Amino acid sequence: MDITEYIKLVFTDYTLRTITMGTAILGAVTGMLGSFAVLRKQSLLGDAISHAALPGIAIAFLITGTKDTNVLLLGALISGLLGTFWIRGIISKTHLKSDTALGLILSLFFGFGMLLLTFIQKQPNANQAGLDKYLFGQAATLVESDVWLMAIVTGICLFVLLLFWKEFKILLFDADYTKTLGFNTNFIDVLITSFIVLAIVLGLQTVGVVLMSAMLLAPAAAARQWTDSLGIMVFLAAVFGAFSGVFGTAISATQNNLSTGPVIVIVAGVFVLVSFVFSPSRGLLFKQIRFIKNRRDLQLHNTLAFMFRIAETHENISHPHAIKILNNFQGFTKGTLQKLVRKNYVKLDGSMWSLTEEGFKIASNLYNQQSDNNE
Amino acid sequence: MSNAQLEIQVIASLVAIACAIPGTFLVLRKMAMISDAISHSILPGIVIGFFITQDLNSPLLILLAAITGIITVVLVEYIQKTGLVKEDTAIGLVFPVLFSIGVIMIAKNANDVHLDVDAVLLGELAFTPFDRLIISGADVGPKSMWIIGSILIITIGLLIAFFKELKVSTFDAGLSASLGFSPAVIHYGLMTVSSVTTVGAFDAVGAILVVALIIAPAATAYLLTNNLKRMLLYAICFGVFSAISGYWLAHVLDASISGSITTMLGLLFFMVYLFAPNKGVIAVMYREKQQRTEVSLLTFLLHLKNHTEESERHVNHLNEHINWQKVRSKTVLDLALKNNMIQFDKNIVSLTEKGDEFTSKAIDYIITNKDAQIEHMKDDFFLFRG
Amino acid sequence: MEQKIAVKVDDLTVAYNYKPVLWDIDLEIPEGVLMAIVGPNGAGKSTLIKSILGILKPIAGSVSIYDKPYDKQRSLVAYVPQKGSVDWDFPTTALDVVMMGTYGSLGWIKRPGQKEKKAALEALEKVGMLPFKNRQISQLSGGQQQRIFLARALVQNASIYFMDEPFQGVDATTEIAIINILKELRKAGKTVIVVHHDLQTVPEYFDWVTFLNVKKIATGPVKDIFNDDNLTKTYGINYKVSIQE
Repeated sequence: MDITEYIKLVFTDYTLRTITMGTAILGAVTGMLGSFAVLRKQSLLGDAISHAALPGIAIAFLITGTKDTNVLLLGALISGLLGTFWIRGIISKTHLKSDTALGLILSLFFGFGMLLLTFIQKQPNANQAGLDKYLFGQAATLVESDVWLMAIVTGICLFVLLLFWKEFKILLFDADYTKTLGFNTNFIDVLITSFIVLAIVLGLQTVGVVLMSAMLLAPAAAARQWTDSLGIMVFLAAVFGAFSGVFGTAISATQNNLSTGPVIVIVAGVFVLVSFVFSPSRGLLFKQIRFIKNRRDLQLHNTLAFMFRIAETHENISHPHAIKILNNFQGFTKGTLQKLVRKNYVKLDGSMWSLTEEGFKIASNLYNQQSDNNE
Repeated sequence: MSNAQLEIQVIASLVAIACAIPGTFLVLRKMAMISDAISHSILPGIVIGFFITQDLNSPLLILLAAITGIITVVLVEYIQKTGLVKEDTAIGLVFPVLFSIGVIMIAKNANDVHLDVDAVLLGELAFTPFDRLIISGADVGPKSMWIIGSILIITIGLLIAFFKELKVSTFDAGLSASLGFSPAVIHYGLMTVSSVTTVGAFDAVGAILVVALIIAPAATAYLLTNNLKRMLLYAICFGVFSAISGYWLAHVLDASISGSITTMLGLLFFMVYLFAPNKGVIAVMYREKQQRTEVSLLTFLLHLKNHTEESERHVNHLNEHINWQKVRSKTVLDLALKNNMIQFDKNIVSLTEKGDEFTSKAIDYIITNKDAQIEHMKDDFFLFRG
Repeated sequence: MEQKIAVKVDDLTVAYNYKPVLWDIDLEIPEGVLMAIVGPNGAGKSTLIKSILGILKPIAGSVSIYDKPYDKQRSLVAYVPQKGSVDWDFPTTALDVVMMGTYGSLGWIKRPGQKEKKAALEALEKVGMLPFKNRQISQLSGGQQQRIFLARALVQNASIYFMDEPFQGVDATTEIAIINILKELRKAGKTVIVVHHDLQTVPEYFDWVTFLNVKKIATGPVKDIFNDDNLTKTYGINYKVSIQE
């Protein structure tokens, strides 16, 4: 299938359109809220919550006997919140650290969920199949009502986000200070956490418990590299998330045997990788280039300073010296010498060099600076 | 109990012990989540290993997968070092991507690879007795038992050989470096053991149960003791207990064995979390309440000692000035009276001689020994119980 | 001269994890002083101002600001936290951080507008950081970050300023700039309370001082009580502290 055909299909084919819409909305809302999780240093909380949601799905099914998505997700929401509060309880009441608490809740809830799922599978009524789609998610099972649910939740999310933008921002940056201004920090905190849990639960059907945390983190981590403004970061994260959803769906729909969840995660991972490397201000590539340039400058400066110390010993600063004596100096290369000549700091005459007026002035400044720094 | 049942329990117990040992150190080093990352990201290693060896129990596959585990650790640390994202975000980014790559590799080669992602994640202990190791025609037991047994023996050997180094580097990395053994070597050694154990165990119990078996027994033990040797011992006992009781739970419910073992681990942790004698939630809450009263009493006594003027020592002052609710001020007053620390004179409270002496001592003690908990004082000063 | 009492602390006792940190602190801070809180590490200096500001919950005691409970007088108080208490890699600009000072008076939901922006720019100007207003905060030096924090408090236009170690890890220029602003605040009749650890500069910078080591050792004008006797009592080798009064 080529691209134009695929695009045409997105608009005409009901299933494909639903899935694409669903993953795009999901990516947007998780990217948005993921920004907060990342900035609050709660990156792994998402992983724990998504795993903790599993027994809720199983119990909701055991109690109601229906496979209605909304009922199951309600169960997931309750169990996810329970896990979140237990994590907090462990951290505040015992001396176990947050990583242990996260790992505990994650694995214990998940194991319990698996026990329930296998127990359900062995039950006589045949209606139970399909619960395990929540493990890795199955975007193909999305129907229009699911997408509507996602859209409504995203809308509420966006509304609350805009309404309490100022409060969210200041709490994320400086919680103690927020308290002194008279804001109820607990309320803001519970609000943010609840929405993060909600977003995770929404994604379970599409991406599954195992990979959900990446949907939360990857768009936010990528967005952070391109901007220094919280607003733009949240917006970019939503865009990256949505594109991961759309591209991921497209790739998995055009290939055989590819489930959507993992492909979306890999696309999001590519966004992160590209951002890490190519971001102009923070990216590794430009950092490396700047680093090399700085090192060159430093070499140049050091050479010039070294020359200055030699030239200083003579009354006439332009007195020529042999290039040979520079060879003992570490960091000196033919290249640096050429560059100094080009900048008109140094004159060359055969195998002799001498400082120009300008070069001497620059060098004396540098030299003084250097000795200042050493003090 | 059939032979197969016995073998399953032996394998589960061996896995539990092999996980509890590195788990104890991971929990103490605040690196529990790295085991979660490793357990997921070994998947691509397993798949590649399987392409090459066509045997899930081959040592080469274990080696390849363990290398993926170490690559994960290195990658996480590299990303952390760039400072582009915060500490834990790096973990959260690396393992889902590697895991997804593994899932896709399986999906794309579904015809050649008889690997099921569910099986990797959840394992199937019930089948382990059927894959037997045959040495020159003689059946010597299930393969998994031999693999996990060998890993366990190596782990125990390393633990005994490097116990001192592990202990010092876990509690004081700086000291460890100054004593001449590099914390980095110990760190990567531990990561290697964790990776190998995870890989060796995944086929039997699945990736998630490995995480549970690494973290939960150690965390439970940590609530009961601060002594490293005891913690190791407790963790091993909890692991083995959950393995065996979990097996029988699964037997009764006819459900996943690894799910049941995890559930037993969870129950065990929950009980200890609630009822551990010193660090359990109930003990902590009781102590907090007690300490609150004791600190309040001392505050009150100190206040009396500080202020000679009558207005500051009037009964009502407790309510108005010190800003306590009625109930609390009454408890504190009663407690002080019962211990003969104070006396009343027309609603003016003053310290008795005993109270005065006690307060001086208490202040002295607190100010010279700020870090010591008030609790320790009880032994020195016949303290009150409310 | 009869002075109004700006901050009054009564019988304040604070325990961190139920270890006593502050014991029965009584403190009266007169209006218009520039006061240093000094004491050894772990003496509870930061804890004292955090408890006054309601960030930490005391076990006992009360705080009043101009004779009314602190809760009702929040708008009169501004706080400059320790520089190290926040993540400076947070995606925001210097101007944005200073604008946060206006959030308290805005209350819930309402957004800052032109008026708030103008106030923030003025505060930036005052601390000499106007040229850096759009700089990402991680790109600022330690001293500049501290000035941003100071500007954020100035925007609050409070009567009482609490500062936690504002001179820690800043360059000499910033230190002078900050102390000049503090002196200006005092001249304008404001009360400034600073957690300080450099004893050398106390007489030069401050006119009022409180010695603290779990208990209050002494409080009063620098010229009267900043002496060897109180210093020994606070920092003394065996930390034995006699009871006051």
